[in-house]
Amino acid sequence: MQNPILSAQGISKRFPGVQALDKVDFDLYPGEVHIIVGENGAGKSTLSKCILGAYLPEEGEIYIEGKKVSIKSSKDALGFGITAVYQEFNLIPYLSVAQNIYFNREFMSKIPGMVDMKKMHEEAKKILSSLNVDYIDTKTKVKHLGVAEKQMVEIAKALSFKPKIIIFDEPTAPLSEREIEAFFKQIHKLKAAGIAIVYVSHRMHEFDQIGDRITVLRDGKYIGTVRVDSISDDELVKMMVGRDVSQVYKRTENEHTGEALRTENICDKKGKVRNVNITVNKGEIVGLAGLVGAGRTELARLIYGVDDIYKGNVYIKGEKVSVKSPEQMVKLGLGLLPEDRKGLGLALKMSVAWNIVSVSLRDMFPKLFINSQKISDAAEENIKELRIMTPSPHRIIKFLSGGNQQKVVIAKWLNTDSDILIFDEPTRGIDVGAKMEIYTLMDKLAAEGKAILMISSELQEVIGLSDRLYILHEGKIVSESKRGELSEEEIGLRMLTVEA
Amino acid sequence: MGKVIKRLQNSQGLLSLMGLFILVLLSSVFSDRFLRVDNIITILRQSSILLILSVGLTGVVITRGVDLSISAIAAFVGCTCAQLLKAGVPIFFVFIIGIILGGIIGLFNGFLVGKLKLPPFVATYGTMMVVSGLSLIMMQGAVIYGLPENFTWYGVGYIGPIPVPVVAAVIIVGIFLVLLKKTTFGREIYLIGSNHNAAVYSAIPVKKRIYTMYSICGMTAGVAGLLLTARLNAAEVAMGDTFGLQTVAAVVIGGTSLLGGEGGPVGTVIGALILTIVVNIMNLLGISSYAQPVVIGVVIISTVYLDVVSKQNRVN
Repeated sequence: MQNPILSAQGISKRFPGVQALDKVDFDLYPGEVHIIVGENGAGKSTLSKCILGAYLPEEGEIYIEGKKVSIKSSKDALGFGITAVYQEFNLIPYLSVAQNIYFNREFMSKIPGMVDMKKMHEEAKKILSSLNVDYIDTKTKVKHLGVAEKQMVEIAKALSFKPKIIIFDEPTAPLSEREIEAFFKQIHKLKAAGIAIVYVSHRMHEFDQIGDRITVLRDGKYIGTVRVDSISDDELVKMMVGRDVSQVYKRTENEHTGEALRTENICDKKGKVRNVNITVNKGEIVGLAGLVGAGRTELARLIYGVDDIYKGNVYIKGEKVSVKSPEQMVKLGLGLLPEDRKGLGLALKMSVAWNIVSVSLRDMFPKLFINSQKISDAAEENIKELRIMTPSPHRIIKFLSGGNQQKVVIAKWLNTDSDILIFDEPTRGIDVGAKMEIYTLMDKLAAEGKAILMISSELQEVIGLSDRLYILHEGKIVSESKRGELSEEEIGLRMLTVEA
Repeated sequence: MGKVIKRLQNSQGLLSLMGLFILVLLSSVFSDRFLRVDNIITILRQSSILLILSVGLTGVVITRGVDLSISAIAAFVGCTCAQLLKAGVPIFFVFIIGIILGGIIGLFNGFLVGKLKLPPFVATYGTMMVVSGLSLIMMQGAVIYGLPENFTWYGVGYIGPIPVPVVAAVIIVGIFLVLLKKTTFGREIYLIGSNHNAAVYSAIPVKKRIYTMYSICGMTAGVAGLLLTARLNAAEVAMGDTFGLQTVAAVVIGGTSLLGGEGGPVGTVIGALILTIVVNIMNLLGISSYAQPVVIGVVIISTVYLDVVSKQNRVN
């Protein structure tokens, strides 16, 4: 076997009050995809930032091709051939693809001060075609590109540095299934070209397809490094969370007593939702699967009154309602937990407590005047019940981890009388531990007789939790199945095509 | 006590409070007349109308909006009410009409911003032009003066040693404090300013709240217009011009972010006091009124700069 291109030994990094990394070892070989996993706060991104020169570790050594080095800045890292593609894009929307790829390192023309545009576009084109994405025009402004295309531009930008090591941080989070497939092909190409890849991700079901080895971190500590083909999902989860998780999707047996929510041939104006008929009964978890863009979120927005229904009817507990606004639907007992936690779910500048009571405020204090103590108490109760990790209810919410933020979004609705809840991607971007807590909670809510409609792109969870499953394809329901009726493969197929 | 300190640290107004303190300290060093009771009362009286306008504006800014029309509303209400007084309408009704008039113009702003989704800056600038134009049409270049004494009392009179406009400002600030901090309405205003979309998804009637906030802001502008008319014992079209963007400056100096979702009336009190004291001390020192705007401008820029820096530090 070759020598590692990068080897980090005994890396420790402290932040005020937290030992973010505690003597972590990590090595990386050329042409290898080395996955780093762990719950939020396990130290994944701290480790990758130490490699990238964004943080300077207090202890430990980093060797590149056998030589001990000190990486003090991202410029140093680039000098050693290390670059990164972040989850949140760093592209400038109003510049062209080529300008973004060569941002701040433009090719100079012979005329002083002028940029050699022609050469820049040629070089950019070369990189894009090496990625098999020549259909992206180097002259297009980045803002006109889709998420997957932006991702490709980011990768092209990374490649333009001719790196030996690329670090990916949750690269597939914004991509749809189809785009992910294309993305993995690119990863394989990079591997074949001998580039070493560090891959930070939560998404366990992707590991088989692209990973070679996995390093597991927990609470900043190094737990171990294993080969992808030698470990099962359960064993991996156990390494990550430090406890046994034989029954991830445990459901309580309960009766489904009567209809809670039903739609009758509802359509939106844009044709994203077409004649959808679904029913959710009390005490039932109903899954809604489909590709990104299949119209799942749009359907939820229609039912919740955010967008106008063009045609069709909505029935709540058997009674026909004309959906006007979220205020009205909340009064009728419906709640929606939106997929975009930061954009739609939370007021990031405000405290945990204020976010928790944001929906229920007017019910708590119908006489206009509020009582801060009562709000703190209510928040404390939710914090305890949902095990939200926050030093106090007055903590500004943006400082909480993704999993804890999601719990706050759930807490908002637990304080209302809602007995029909729509969970849109409730576990996106959060760690395994928090996911399982949310599954348990959803099961508990269903057992209490609440009706739950769950939208999810993670097939395993939507199959694992749902009593019934609808599949949406291009705005139409193409399949309805009971628990255990269809295999994961069959469901995957039905998501892709109408005729399955 | 610890709780109080902690709350102060978290509040946006801490820095402006320190600024105010330093300003008072320096001013009392520069001029021995500064800390005299009559001068302090003068400062309070001079700041009171700016404060009433700015406090109303504070609520709007918290929704991530702005209202540039308030000084024009004040002038319009002042002119209208002066005419009504001249026509012999009883003072009580004049006040009611003035406040309602302000509220209606505010509601119009709320409609432009909440329903038609116009950018607040442009929408309220447009309203400002319209309202100023209406004043011009109504007044035809005239100045109305010589108003009834029991009306001018509201501008020049005293309750004990305290000028009436100061009492009015204190009451209005008190109302806003309760409204913004202690009611569901106020908290929803903060939520809307912090994240408009999340407020929609949290089933908050966002449009209604925006209508209400702009209306209330218009009503305080109406009150300011009435008190200003009483104090000047006259009304003319340009009477609100001195306040112009000073109202926005007072709000921002007080630590209320133009990005919405944070700040509050207490900061605005400090902001209005800072602006007034700067002018007052320059007058005491005999600095030419031509040079005064330069100093005011510098004060505005530096206070807001300090606020931005301190916010960045807090984030890190």
